[in-house]
This record gives sequence, C-alpha cells and structure tokens, in this order.
Amino acid sequence: MAYADLREFLATLDRSGQLLTYSDAVDPEPGMSAAARAVANLTDRGPALVFDNINGYEPGRSRVVLNLVGSWPNHALMLGLDKDTAIKDQFFEFARRWEAFPGPVERRDDAPWQEVTVGGGIDLFRLLPLFRLNTYDVGCYIDKACVISRDPDDPDDFGKQNVGIYRIQVKDKDRLGIQPLAAHDLGLHLRHAEERGENLPIVIAIGNEPVITTVAGMPLAYDQSEYEMAAAIQCAPYPITKAAATGLDVPWGSEVVIEGEIIAGEREIEGPFGEFTGHYSGARRQPVVKVHRVAHRTDPIHEQLYIGKPWTEMDYTVALNTSVVLYRQLKAEFPEVAAVNAMYTQGLLGIISVRQRFGGFAKAVGLRAMTVPHGLAYCKVIIMVDDTVDPFNLPQVMWALSVYYHPFYDTVIVPNVSVLALDPSSEPAGITHKIVLDATTPAPPETRGHYTQLVADPEGTAEWEDIIRRLLG
Amino acid sequence: MTPNTTVCPRCDAENVRVLTTSPVPGRWTMHVCDTCVYSWRSTEPSSVTDPPAYPPEFKIDPAEIPHLPATPAVPRRR
Repeated sequence: MAYADLREFLATLDRSGQLLTYSDAVDPEPGMSAAARAVANLTDRGPALVFDNINGYEPGRSRVVLNLVGSWPNHALMLGLDKDTAIKDQFFEFARRWEAFPGPVERRDDAPWQEVTVGGGIDLFRLLPLFRLNTYDVGCYIDKACVISRDPDDPDDFGKQNVGIYRIQVKDKDRLGIQPLAAHDLGLHLRHAEERGENLPIVIAIGNEPVITTVAGMPLAYDQSEYEMAAAIQCAPYPITKAAATGLDVPWGSEVVIEGEIIAGEREIEGPFGEFTGHYSGARRQPVVKVHRVAHRTDPIHEQLYIGKPWTEMDYTVALNTSVVLYRQLKAEFPEVAAVNAMYTQGLLGIISVRQRFGGFAKAVGLRAMTVPHGLAYCKVIIMVDDTVDPFNLPQVMWALSVYYHPFYDTVIVPNVSVLALDPSSEPAGITHKIVLDATTPAPPETRGHYTQLVADPEGTAEWEDIIRRLLG
Repeated sequence: MTPNTTVCPRCDAENVRVLTTSPVPGRWTMHVCDTCVYSWRSTEPSSVTDPPAYPPEFKIDPAEIPHLPATPAVPRRR
C-alpha cells in the first residue's frame, strides 16, 4: 500500500473521488485558503484540493495542493484502507502497525527531486506559489514541509536525525524564519549547535507522500527515527536519498528539497501566524535560516496545509498519531486502557476509555495522561469513560458525561502545571490548571449512584447493524 | 486605489522594498518591510496592504521589536 510520492497518492485520491482540481484562475490570496477553510467547514469526508491556475504563475505548471489528508476517507486511504473505515478501526490499525517499528529504510540515489538544482539566485517565491494563509499572518509561510536535522553532538546517530514539521516564515527570497521550540527535537539540535558556536544544517523537504508528514507530526522519542516509523506505518521499506550539500537523509519522493543553515545566535522578529488553537500566535524573536541550495522536480507541486480554528487538515493529520502515542504509553502501565481519543486541539482535550479495577482507578489513569511526555504540554481536560463507551463516538461520550459524571465526586483539578504556551487560556503563557472529569461507573469501594438497571441493546442488534449496512449498500 | 509601496501597513516604518515580482510579468509585486519583516502582495485586499486600514490589535511599534522574547533563548557557548 506504500505510496512512492505525493503524485501517486494524488492519483489514488482521484480514483477514489477524493480529489478536486480547480482550474479557474485564482489570486494567491485569499481564494486558496478560503477554499481549504470551506471544505473543512462543510464536511469531514471532503476531498483534497488542487489549484493549477494561480495568478502570476504559468497555468498548469505551478500547482498548490491543500487538504491532502483533511478528511477521514483521505486519512484511511493514506493507510491503504477502505475509505469508509471507521475512525476507531483506523486508530487500532495505526496502533497495530506501530508494533513493526523500527521498519527498514531503503537508500536510493536516483531521487526525482534531483532533476533541477539551483545554487545561486534563489527566489522561493518564483519557484513555488507561496501565499498568505490567514489574513493577519505576517507573510507567507511553509507549514507542511519535513524539516530534517541531525544532532551536532552525535551526527552519526540515524535515530537522532529528526524529521519534524515546523512553521516557516518566508522572509525573503532565500531567507526564512523558523520556530524550533526548546522542547522540540529541532530545538535540541539547535541548542547543541549554538553551544558549539556552529550553524545548524537543515533540509526543508516540500511535497511528500502523506505518511512521512503524519509521522513527522508525531510525538516520538528523541532517538526514534521518523523514517523507520514511516516504514512501519506504510508496511514497506521507506526510501530516502542523501541531500548533496548537507548529507541529510531526505524522502526519496519529495517535490522540493531546500538546503540551508539555521544561523547560530541569531533571533529575529517572526509572527504572528494563525495557529491550530484558532488564535494568532503573536510575534517573538526566533531563529533564522539562510538558504544555500534548492533541488526540485520539473514543475514541482507545492503542498501546503491550511491551519486555523479546528477542524482543519492539521487536526486530521495529528488526530490518530497523537492518540496512539498516549494509548501506548498508558497501556504499558495500565492494560485496562481500552482506547484513547486525544484528537481535540492536538490533545489539549482527551477522552480515555478504561476498565475500572477499583474505585478511583480511572482518575489515576487520567492523572497519568497529564505526566506522559506529550501530556506535559497538553491533556488539559481529560474525560474518563468506561471501556464499554467508544471514545471516538461523541454522542456516547456525552451520554456518559451526562449520567455517570458527578460534579462533586468526579472532578480532580491539578493546579498550576505546564501546558503549551500557545494555549490562549494559559496564565502566564505555559501554565494552567488541568482537570479530570471521571465519567466511569463507580467501582467498589465506591457504591454511589443507581447503575444496576442499564438498558442493554436488544438481542441481535449487532447482526442487524450488519444487515442494515448491507442493505444501504 | 494605487497599492501602497512605501509604508509598512503593520509598523508604519518607511523601510519598504520590493521583495519579488510575479513569474508571469506584470501580475503582482510583493513588498517587504525591513523593520518588522511584514510582507504583502499588490493583489491583496486593502485590509492587509493599507496602513490606516490595518487593525490596531495587529500593529506593532518598531521600538518594541528588540524587546520581544527570544524563543528559544540563545544558550551560552561551551
């Protein structure tokens, strides 16, 4: 099922009725962003969008792709599943494939992005149809590229080589702003480089098959290779090619490969940028990238991600990779955890289903979610439900909250703990209270409530679900 | 209305230059402010290109820029 590159995945989307190509003329702003916002507003089963007639660029030769994985059918197709696969089934399939980590990589030296090389006179705006995503963004951003770097203190460690997604402001034709937060792997690489007084070589690879960008947004351990995880999730060796100037490993199938350096010690105004919280980020002084070399396919495709108030494509791309990470970390200690749905604003809110061992058990699991690595910056609101409740089925979760949750007994508030600074409710930025809402059935020694006469499904309901599904075709 | 090419819509500095022009000639020009690194395209709505129309909550005073927090902080050399 592995897709060699973006173009192969686009062909699959097209065959599956999940691709819309718009060939009427559009200005770079605001039409393409508005279209991506609109498709996310309309449906969670929407298509990817291709624009191939962008004002100022040659029609047919400059293309922008948006909303590539911005729906559950597209997410399922990314995994090589039937496009109607239920979210919960996609979750368990993702978790199952993780077991094959680390998968193999395949080194190749014939990447299609080697077709054209530009070493001087670089103008990224002419190479790619860059555009402002949200009205008050400070400028044009690249926000779905794989950013690749190595640890300068351990440059030969393949696992510590990082592939991540970072927001990148295009400040000039060959000068970029980047946001490697201290807690990110790229932030650690930059710290080591700056402690050594060295610039940090990086590659920015644009236009990839969807698994590597999904894995790049996954909260993996520092020494876990995203390429080896992509191989596990794709069920096939992951092809990579060395970039000429930096020697960094790049997806074989990329459209555009930008090589450059983060300049040691330099910080410059960056932002605001409309973020996944649905709010602008404000401006800070952040690192700067000098671009030295660009390699690309003939007529490269610019894949970009619209981001803003949830839900957008960003929410689909991180929904299950975040949920599966939390699930695995919790289940390692608590096998009673049945499933985790942490797909709300990257896991600021999560729902965990669990089989209660004894009274207070679910609350303990909820508190533990806040102290796994991802939980330190997220998991502000945790809803605990019984293992008989599907955490991906919000009507079921709301039912559990409405009849099992008792505000006096079932609320745990943890004061003044860490959260990502982008959470607009945090005060000061990066500090918040967190809460567990326990909507599980009380277990002994707790005996409160009246839960002995649950209305079960009539006998044969599951069979009838199959019959009706078949009849609906 | 003639597109603004001299004053930054965001910080009002008169420190603006041409950033780039459209690959198909004559379609648009992009400008950038070398004080606050704001950029805009001549085809964009006046709400993001015209200094008086730019919303006050998104404006920035150039004097504030050197005092913005550095993220991440620059570490000490070994």
